[in-house]
Amino acid sequence: MSNFTIPVGPLNVALEEPMYFKVDVHGETVANVDIHAGHVHRGIEYLVTKRNVFQNLVLTERICSLCSNSHPQAYAMAIEQIAGLTVPPRAEYMRVIADEIKRVASHLFNVGVLAHLVGFESLFMHVMEVREMMQDVKESMFGNRMDLGAHVIGGVRFNIDDENIAYLKAQLDRIAPAVAEITHLYRTNGSILGRTRGIGVLSHADAVDCSVVGPVARASGINYDVRVKAPYAAYDRLEVPVHTLSDGDVWSRAIVRLSEVTTAVDILRQCLDNLPAGPTSCTTERPSIPVGEAIGKCEAPRGELIYYVRMTDSPRPERVKWRVPSFMNWDALRIMMKDAKIADIAIIVNSIDPCISCTER
Amino acid sequence: MLESLYTPFAALLFPGGLFALALGLTLKGFDRRLAARLQARVGPPLAQPIYDLVKLARKRTMVPDVACEPVFLGAPLIGAVSMALAAALVPIPGFYTPDPVLGDLLVLLYLLTVPAIVLMIAGSASGSPFGAIGFSREMAMMLAYEGPLVLVVAAVAMRTGMGMGGLISFSLTDIVAYQQSHGAFLFDPVMWPALLAFLAFYPANLGIVPFDIPEAETEVLEGPLLEYSGPALGLFKIMSALKAVVVLGLGVALFYPIAPEGAAGLLVQIAKLVLLMLIGVTVVRVSCGRMRIDQAFRFFLKWPLALSVISLAFVALV
Repeated sequence: MSNFTIPVGPLNVALEEPMYFKVDVHGETVANVDIHAGHVHRGIEYLVTKRNVFQNLVLTERICSLCSNSHPQAYAMAIEQIAGLTVPPRAEYMRVIADEIKRVASHLFNVGVLAHLVGFESLFMHVMEVREMMQDVKESMFGNRMDLGAHVIGGVRFNIDDENIAYLKAQLDRIAPAVAEITHLYRTNGSILGRTRGIGVLSHADAVDCSVVGPVARASGINYDVRVKAPYAAYDRLEVPVHTLSDGDVWSRAIVRLSEVTTAVDILRQCLDNLPAGPTSCTTERPSIPVGEAIGKCEAPRGELIYYVRMTDSPRPERVKWRVPSFMNWDALRIMMKDAKIADIAIIVNSIDPCISCTER
Repeated sequence: MLESLYTPFAALLFPGGLFALALGLTLKGFDRRLAARLQARVGPPLAQPIYDLVKLARKRTMVPDVACEPVFLGAPLIGAVSMALAAALVPIPGFYTPDPVLGDLLVLLYLLTVPAIVLMIAGSASGSPFGAIGFSREMAMMLAYEGPLVLVVAAVAMRTGMGMGGLISFSLTDIVAYQQSHGAFLFDPVMWPALLAFLAFYPANLGIVPFDIPEAETEVLEGPLLEYSGPALGLFKIMSALKAVVVLGLGVALFYPIAPEGAAGLLVQIAKLVLLMLIGVTVVRVSCGRMRIDQAFRFFLKWPLALSVISLAFVALV
């Protein structure tokens, strides 16, 4: 058996975004992994300090496509805290609706890509077809397939009427059985089980050491979900079960994501049933933002997303810093890939659902 | 039957060479189309494999600096030529019987290993680490599926040989003639284990899911083919299309060579190949995911090998 160094990335069919893994292999087994970043640095953290508070809402939404709702949400929460604004109850529910719609689409995308990496193209196509129902919801309710543009400082930009509610409920009724079927497939299909069980294991102790977040943490048995531990928006009034598994392998992460999709559908139904009446924003005019600093955090599809904002007397923030979930999960890759096979590299990388545009901004 | 087609014609035009290429590309077209339909896609036009070849023919072949150029460029040529020759060895029941001068089943078995060897050589000559990994995977796969294949062929040859009063017959002409007079092996329970083992050999030899491990796109980026482009890549595509015709035709000859005489025999053969491609290849590849190399190796040592040994024992004892 000979030793090679193989490049995975920065351009690689198995990665949707540019990241460079220098993998030393011994035969088919991984000996060492070097992770190099910096291929899509766009300077957004700098740009944010050159735009005013309201323009930044649009800019933060463009940091990442799959968590494009979580970024403006955490940002708006931080600004609202500085300005002392109270978001009206209806807007809080609407924020949850936008959040969970994105979560369904994001998780299904990741689980679908897993099937693609395993070489199971039919399952990939099927999962993407189911995900397309949620894409239809986004497009018809928000006018966009990826960026919802749901948030304003102090509330939400959109409103939904009875027609929207009926449509969303009908779509949820179509998605729920399809997701149940997909979950069953991932639990029983030999191809999926054979390639994902016991692969890329992250033990509970390692998970704690690496401070991983989101589905990666929950699949390693860490019961942590911002929606439950530090409820924001309307999550304190909703029933949000946290799904944890103890194996910490690629399969557990996929199953946690699929369970969260099912839960997200439930949460959406709860929201639609209990949607309070009232305004969707606390002010009709743009509020003035005083001097101050605050932290906003929310549960993005990939895990805990934290925003820190500091305002001085300028309309532009002096500093905005965000800590994205993928950043926390990167280091765990080294542990997961220890002694992995070449064939499993892409599957393991995908299992942390890496968001490189978030991490590098 | 056309008894005396002379050899160069058989290898270059019909049934090897051009005819087999056209047939192979059409089979690939059917395969892609049905796979697309099974995945709720529209799929490419039937002639897409031909368009691809035309496109590749018009491009330039890039040779990596670190590659060994003569081997790098020679490998695909050897592969394509060997398969064109192999196609001339496969009988079309009722229409074409290969000239014994060309060779028998044993020669065909040897020729069938050429594509795998050529891919291994190509992978290591390209100088890419992915090619090297493809090399080792291809070798492992070959070791895994060659054994069962030889045993299956031996079982068929023995069944024929013993039926004809001898011990073993490696002449495809005999195998076809025996089945035409005594009934196809497809309906012979003694041969069913061999048939199953042979069906497992298809995806492995044709390099499709679940055994497309040496060329796995998401793992080793097409492995040995990674550095190839233009006409050289086109030659590999030609090789793969011809190989489909050869191995599918071999399956028909070994297990169901019942066909009418004359031109109808040719049409029946084409219909059988298309059917076999769709059932034995397309449906398999859309209904499962890829195995890891160790899993595939273990699979072949477990099931097809056991089945082929059982079949050989049946044939010897019954």
